[in-house]
Amino acid sequence: MTDAATSHMPTRRDPVLVWDIWVRLFHWALVVCIATAAVTGFVLGAPWITLHIASGLLAMALVAARIVWGFLGPTHARFRDFLRPPAEILSHLTGGDAGRHLGHNPAGGLMMLGLMAVVELLGIAGLTGLGGVLRTGPLLSLPYGIGEAGLELHEILAILLIVMILAHVAAAIFESRRSRENLVRSMVTGTKERRPGDHPGRNVVSRPRIALTVIALLAGLTVQVWQRDTGVPDGAPVAVLDEVFAEECTACHVAYHPSLLSGSEWQVIMANLDDHFVEDARLDDETNARITEWLVAHDASSAQTRPAHVFANARKDPTGRITETRAWDDLHENVAEETFLRAPIYSKLNCLACHADAETGWFSPFLIEIPKETSK
Amino acid sequence: MKYLLVLPFALLAYPAAAQSTSPADLLAQYSAEAGAEASAERGQALFMANHTGGKPDTPSCTTCHTTDPKATGQARTGKPVEPLAPSSNPERFTDVKFVEKWFGRNCNSVLGRDCTAAEKADVLAWLDSF
Ligand code: HEC
Ligand code: HEC
Ligand code: HEC
Repeated sequence: MTDAATSHMPTRRDPVLVWDIWVRLFHWALVVCIATAAVTGFVLGAPWITLHIASGLLAMALVAARIVWGFLGPTHARFRDFLRPPAEILSHLTGGDAGRHLGHNPAGGLMMLGLMAVVELLGIAGLTGLGGVLRTGPLLSLPYGIGEAGLELHEILAILLIVMILAHVAAAIFESRRSRENLVRSMVTGTKERRPGDHPGRNVVSRPRIALTVIALLAGLTVQVWQRDTGVPDGAPVAVLDEVFAEECTACHVAYHPSLLSGSEWQVIMANLDDHFVEDARLDDETNARITEWLVAHDASSAQTRPAHVFANARKDPTGRITETRAWDDLHENVAEETFLRAPIYSKLNCLACHADAETGWFSPFLIEIPKETSK
Repeated sequence: MKYLLVLPFALLAYPAAAQSTSPADLLAQYSAEAGAEASAERGQALFMANHTGGKPDTPSCTTCHTTDPKATGQARTGKPVEPLAPSSNPERFTDVKFVEKWFGRNCNSVLGRDCTAAEKADVLAWLDSF
């Protein structure tokens, strides 16, 4: 990778290579990743979580590689070229810095650092939520509360990132106008025209082989860490359904996993089986006692899953209705009311129609699929 | 008279043999208990009718079992209910405890009371005629 800026004598209108191919590829690949993550995260929701996570992880990897390139790449790729001391940034912003910067100007450089930092933090916060709340990924043994905080931070950082991106785009347009050049095109072609009085930057030679080695090592390390913490996390919901429960409580509907409700809600349900949501589901006392005991022993307090946390919030007067909780409504606000009624779903209570893992108590967003409408 | 003939049969079938039975045995047993011969027409009428004594959401047996005992019905929760006619579903009426449990629940939901042995015999006679 040679730096075109140094390769021959400059003339006034000479195009000069500012953004090497890797910086450009990084930039546009990051645009695609962030756009995908934003659309899947803000608009499409849980059913797209796999694509959301994949695009987020790729964005993190791209930024990590870019950071390596910031130490080992050519002149304008280097942090040294665009991360300037505060005084210089201030002087640039107040118009005290006369020359044109071929690479990022001092304010732009600060934005680059900010964007990279926010992308990485956003990803880490997302992985924290994935681990603590959804109990998957490299951080699956984090406590639920930390996961929840991670998800909140993830959302705040996502909004911050969007704002920063808008500012970055506005600045690029503004600078293009001000200096009468097309900065967006430069990020495609890599070149800018040389002008007298440019800050050329301090020339350095890029070290692609070392950079590649460092990136490969980082990738290997990541894979190692990723595989370290897999398997069944602490606080997994009980995996085997009691056979009497499975026999008696699945005749009219899917098996509602005991971790979906608190013990007191189960007791209310089991004490009122003769008038079970307007139906008679009576059991003999012995069977009833056995099922009640099993349900209470494996209730929401025994499991560290998202449904166990969101549905089992103590209610003043327990009803045993999962579908009438605020949390259930919130989680399903993207699903139209008619969708629940049409074939082959027919009812909100038919969780299994859309959640392949409903009877395990997990309700993983990776396994949500609304079935296509069928004729009956 | 016929009742005397089936009686020993019924006594054998009911409490003794664990719980397993067959539609014919069970029909004999309910008829014996009722002391009358079962009528498929009466059974059909009971099954098809809209009743008012039970819960408003379940006015009829057909609410969940449809009007065709050979067809798959649907509980109010979206879960399919296998056909009731033994000719379509050989597992029907083969477990006394199971049958009793569901007659108990379903009659209470639809009629607001237990079904009599005669009514059970009638329904069974109709369901077994397919
Ligand atoms: C006779 C049929 C029947 C049987 C047997 C039955 N249920 Fe239900 N269950 C229902 C119906 C009907 C509803 C509510 C349907 C509606 O309102 O749409 C319901 C609702 C529920 C709900 C509330 C779901 C929600 O979020 O709205 C829970 C929990 C539940 N049942 C648990 C049980 C348990 C535990 C057992 C076993 C002891 C059981 N059911 C056995 C018919 C039955
Ligand atoms: C019509 C299909 C459908 C039915 C039926 C259904 N759900 Fe869902 N559920 C969804 C969809 C779609 C989402 C994701 C919503 C989103 O965020 O876009 C979801 C999300 C969830 C989540 C959150 C998953 C996560 O971590 O992101 C839980 C928990 C859940 N549902 C529980 C239930 C329970 C319990 C029932 C049954 C009482 C049920 N659902 C019935 C479609 C359904
Ligand atoms: C609310 C829905 C509902 C209604 C109404 C209903 N049933 Fe059922 N019925 C069921 C379900 C659910 C089962 C058990 C699941 C299964 O076996 O497929 C069942 C099972 C039965 C069985 C057990 C058969 C066997 O041995 O397997 C009989 C008999 C029966 N119902 C008769 C009736 C009669 C008679 C009526 C009207 C008085 C009636 N049902 C009304 C839902 C209903």
